[in-house]
Amino acid sequence: MAGLLAHLDLDAFFANVELLRRPELRGLPVIVSGSGPRAVVTTASYEARAFGVRSAMPTVQARRLCPQGILVPPDLDAYRSASRAVMAVVRDHIDIVEQMGIDEAYLDITGLVTPNAALRRLVAEIRTATGLTASVGIGPNKLVAKVASDAEKPGGFVRLTIEQARERFAGASPGLIPGIGPRTVERLSAMGITTLGALGAVDEGTLAAVFGPRQGPQLAARARFEDDARVEPERAVVSESRERTFEHDVRDIGELEEILGVLTAQLCGSLRERDRRGRTVRLKLRLDDFTTVTRARTLGHATDDEREIHGTAVELLREYRPARPVRLLGVGIAGLSAGDDQLTFAL
Amino acid sequence: MKITTTHNDLLERLQTVARVASTRSAIQALSGVQISAGPEGVELRATDMEIGLRTPLAAEVERPGEVVLPARLLLEIVRRLGGAAVELELRPEHQDVEIVSGTARFQVRTLRAEDFPLLPSTDGEHTVAMPAQAFTETINRVSRSASRDETRPILTGVLVSVDGPSLRMVATDSYRLSVKQTQLETAIANGFEANVPARALEELGRLVTTGTETITIGVTANQVIFHIGNVVLSSRLIDGQFPNHSQLIPEAFDHELTVETTEILEVVERISLMAQKNAPLRLSFTPGELRVSAQTPDVGEASDVLPIPFTGEPFEIGFNAEFLTAGLQSAGSPQVILKLISPLRPGLIESADGSGFLYLIMPIRLNV
Repeated sequence: MAGLLAHLDLDAFFANVELLRRPELRGLPVIVSGSGPRAVVTTASYEARAFGVRSAMPTVQARRLCPQGILVPPDLDAYRSASRAVMAVVRDHIDIVEQMGIDEAYLDITGLVTPNAALRRLVAEIRTATGLTASVGIGPNKLVAKVASDAEKPGGFVRLTIEQARERFAGASPGLIPGIGPRTVERLSAMGITTLGALGAVDEGTLAAVFGPRQGPQLAARARFEDDARVEPERAVVSESRERTFEHDVRDIGELEEILGVLTAQLCGSLRERDRRGRTVRLKLRLDDFTTVTRARTLGHATDDEREIHGTAVELLREYRPARPVRLLGVGIAGLSAGDDQLTFAL
Repeated sequence: MKITTTHNDLLERLQTVARVASTRSAIQALSGVQISAGPEGVELRATDMEIGLRTPLAAEVERPGEVVLPARLLLEIVRRLGGAAVELELRPEHQDVEIVSGTARFQVRTLRAEDFPLLPSTDGEHTVAMPAQAFTETINRVSRSASRDETRPILTGVLVSVDGPSLRMVATDSYRLSVKQTQLETAIANGFEANVPARALEELGRLVTTGTETITIGVTANQVIFHIGNVVLSSRLIDGQFPNHSQLIPEAFDHELTVETTEILEVVERISLMAQKNAPLRLSFTPGELRVSAQTPDVGEASDVLPIPFTGEPFEIGFNAEFLTAGLQSAGSPQVILKLISPLRPGLIESADGSGFLYLIMPIRLNV
């Protein structure tokens, strides 16, 4: 039986959570962002997007584009709890759910008798329960569903077959497809390929010559909306990390160690909340020249112990001794396991 | 160098010594066996820099000298020779050794003899005589708990302590701890304590045969040297402080249960079949009964019950199946005493016949 999938994507998620808490901002251009010199936009309301403000844009630039924009500092705890509320509603209706981050999920709706009606009910219920709006895309695979959910945001509801998707987006830039980034778009454009229709029709050999034997044919297949990834109900989380970009580069190792302490405390809080422990401690540094360095050490056992993780991260930092000022510092833990865990002697 | 020996003796001695030769050293000579022919006879030697082995070879020395030949290759060649006698002759002009047996002739290129290290020997001062069987029996009871993880070298050893009439060995890989205290028939004058690589002790176990009565042990600052008959096994000692194991053993336990070793071992081994891929073995204690169960996702599950003199609040504890099995197997007594506190505290297996065996094992935290 051919499968049917839906992609559910919350509209301007962070901004909308803020609007719920501060209704007086409704209708105004809201930009969720920190305020330091290096801050980037996390989300913008649709009013702010009208000015050209986009996610991940430096906040300085967003302010230039939209001087009347209202800057709201991000409150991740509030977003997480809103996300949990939404996903709880989703799981009440749909059995197989693959959550992709904080504000989107793939749903396996194969076998539903009236999938459109069921999903419209779900969207309405999310709205009633949380006040948040979502866009839905429905299609035979993840790729079609994802592109469809994005096509008529906010409040979109688009169902397409593969053929309909090909036809509808034939004239769109290849950049519309998730996984085809600006660099690839640029290289395609240099080859004279500027639309999905053109990309889907290009001889695979030509693409393979430029992008390699694996990626080349894959590009064309994705442009034709071919995708066979399944909905994986539980994405195995294998690592977790916390990092921070500084407002001013940090040179002092003592200060870096202190910041590591703060990041480790956040990381361990989250590990304990989810009853997770990891075996490999990772340190990440970005220097002022944008060199990114990671260092890792595997412990003999899984841990969520703050002192142990911080101690290991500090050791890694001291061993590496950054020779240049540091602009970003992060600590992470990998090899995560939940639940059953062999305990060890304190030796 | 030119010697003549018998095929049987050469093969037997090579089999003993070749196992010690290195398999992965950057120094080629360490993958070799050194044949040293002198006025006192012929000796075969091999070492990987951690462990060294010397064994005499009954041979007729026509011309003394020393050569190093690739150990595995030499063993394979000798294994396939047909003649009763074997002649080995160094041909310096060809930098090889010619091996002649029956009608077969081999010319084997030598390894750099100057790279082969001098093996340690005892000065005869700090040596003790030790009953061989008691010593190896003690090794067998604890060596499985030594760590194989080279990143913590200190745990790859067995702490051997000799104090008067008492011989004690301790090993731990941080998941379990084995302690065996053996009472010797006679006290030993020069006691010592040394962290000996478990690998060396396992090698010693192979060299001691049922006929071996006594071995001598010499300990220097960084080496231990065992004499087993005319074979000499030496090993580097592991540097650093072995963990204080006595502080790991809880002073008091809430439950002490005496069980027939074979009964519980049978159940544990049976149910362990379904504890694959690091899945824990679940031990559920209820009054009068122990239920052992295991479940491996996509493989299946199993359970069995065993009457046990348990009283009090029921509780469930998880253990690694292999670790628990090893502990029960190593107890070596008809009955064992299981001592437990709670699901996240270590459990203890103790031999019930007072033979001085302790096996402390950390549980697996169970998810549900």
